[in-house]
Amino acid sequence: MTFNSLTYLGFLFAVVATFWALPVIARRALVMLASIVFYASWDVRFVWLPVVVAGVVFMCGKGMQAGGRNAKRWMWIGSSSLLVLLAVFKYRAFVLENLARLGIQPWHSGSWSVVTIAFPLGISFYTFEAIGYLIDVRQGRVKMPGFVDLCLFFLFWPNILSGPIVRARELMPQLGFARKFEPRLAFEGVDRIVWGLVQKNVIANVLGTWVDRGFGGPPVASHSTLDSWFLAIAFGLQIYFDFAGYTNLAIGAARLIGVELPENFRHPYHASNPADFWNRWHMTLSRWIRDYLFFPINARWKGAPGPLYASLIGVMALVGLWHGAGWGFLIWGTMHGVYLVTYRAYEGLAVERPALKSSRLVAAFWRIATLAGLAAAWVPFRAAALAKTFSVWSAMFFRFTWRAEYNALFYTVTLLVILFCVIEPLVMGILREVEEQAGEGGPSMFRIVFRPVAHLLGFTLFLVFDQGYSQFIYSQF
Amino acid sequence: MLPDTATIQEAARAAASELTGKNIKEGQKLVTSGLIDSLAVLKLISLLEKKLRIVIPPETLQPEDFDDVALMVETIERVGRTPR
Repeated sequence: MTFNSLTYLGFLFAVVATFWALPVIARRALVMLASIVFYASWDVRFVWLPVVVAGVVFMCGKGMQAGGRNAKRWMWIGSSSLLVLLAVFKYRAFVLENLARLGIQPWHSGSWSVVTIAFPLGISFYTFEAIGYLIDVRQGRVKMPGFVDLCLFFLFWPNILSGPIVRARELMPQLGFARKFEPRLAFEGVDRIVWGLVQKNVIANVLGTWVDRGFGGPPVASHSTLDSWFLAIAFGLQIYFDFAGYTNLAIGAARLIGVELPENFRHPYHASNPADFWNRWHMTLSRWIRDYLFFPINARWKGAPGPLYASLIGVMALVGLWHGAGWGFLIWGTMHGVYLVTYRAYEGLAVERPALKSSRLVAAFWRIATLAGLAAAWVPFRAAALAKTFSVWSAMFFRFTWRAEYNALFYTVTLLVILFCVIEPLVMGILREVEEQAGEGGPSMFRIVFRPVAHLLGFTLFLVFDQGYSQFIYSQF
Repeated sequence: MLPDTATIQEAARAAASELTGKNIKEGQKLVTSGLIDSLAVLKLISLLEKKLRIVIPPETLQPEDFDDVALMVETIERVGRTPR
């Protein structure tokens, strides 16, 4: 059941209607059942996996809570076990494939298909939640709940596949489902769901057809400079609207049952520099990396430049690999690490030369360089092979030709989506203002006319652009 | 022995104001509002250590432990210690 399918929307309607009809005491059982059914609808063979993750966290958490010298050891045992589990499912094939290229073949008798195993969806997301949970228990930020509570935390259907990556202290207290129904929850939930469906089906999928053609087939080598830049930018827009659409659908579904999930995006292409981009893009992953990797490493070295730069590149390379087992992801992450190092080095320079900080020209340079750098980095992320990456980069930066080989619609749609990205904060701000003015009480034009019409229009667009089955990009990670 | 709560509170407000160049008020969010990032939190910790003549071991801390003045006070009282 993909979030943008009629089957899922029917499932969601049934679960939400039943949820509010049930007494509080029975709601947890319903959400648990719905979560299991949802996860099993993807691959029934892996329903046990989040339960095993909950088991590891439960056992190690209990060990930590017993205190004493072993607390730290339990945290490491738990985190390592979870990472091994992730590695087995996600990185095994990649490691073996690269060993084979070097002539090392650990399985002498079997073919490579023997060692290929299916990939459980969402494993990267709930493994990170689990490791964060263990560290939070170790730091005394959360108490260990019961095993069933933990299972519900990891299986919770709105965010199990692709986040947002939640902290135990923000989701766990809400899983009692004691909140009373308010019309606001339904309005906000449906707002997010309809907008998510439009982002996915109307914007991301439409751009995706051209992007797939551009990155997928052999003619990449013949792309002009113009087409290569458009292709890289179009993929940057596709992945943003795809993932933001998914996140809106997740946040909306949770809100329909009274649960607040954290936001994941804040107009990322409005970033003023590479560091700002990571405060706006996949914010719950950035927060996880900051809290459990980047901050502890740099706190140890008091933010000294050498360890800072090394940790930025190392951590971002890991972020790349977290997305997928492939060289393209590793290159993408490392490029972001290099961008961040460059920006931090500039910040160090700007402390000694304050004129740099106040210069509009320098600020404009960082804004443009960030956008160009982002487009260049999306190329290895999307291209199926390194040869394609180098061919697109070559056209973007070295082999200048300006032929336009796509039909005019591709360039027009991409430019329109760019324009929408530019005005998106303004549009969202106006909508927020109109809603605030409408207030909580009585009927208003906004509530009676605008909202239902917008929902109807959005849902119609979703149906018109529905391609039957279309996977979200981030559900592969 | 750690300084009293009022002294820590005043030092926290002063350190946050010095770092951001703004007059930081009680309850004003620093990290979650994006006013400072995790590297600035490390500088904030150094400033607090200097002002209060204490040590704040960072191993068990997260940037949001310094999100506002009240949280800074709570964090320092929880993990801060006087230098040996």
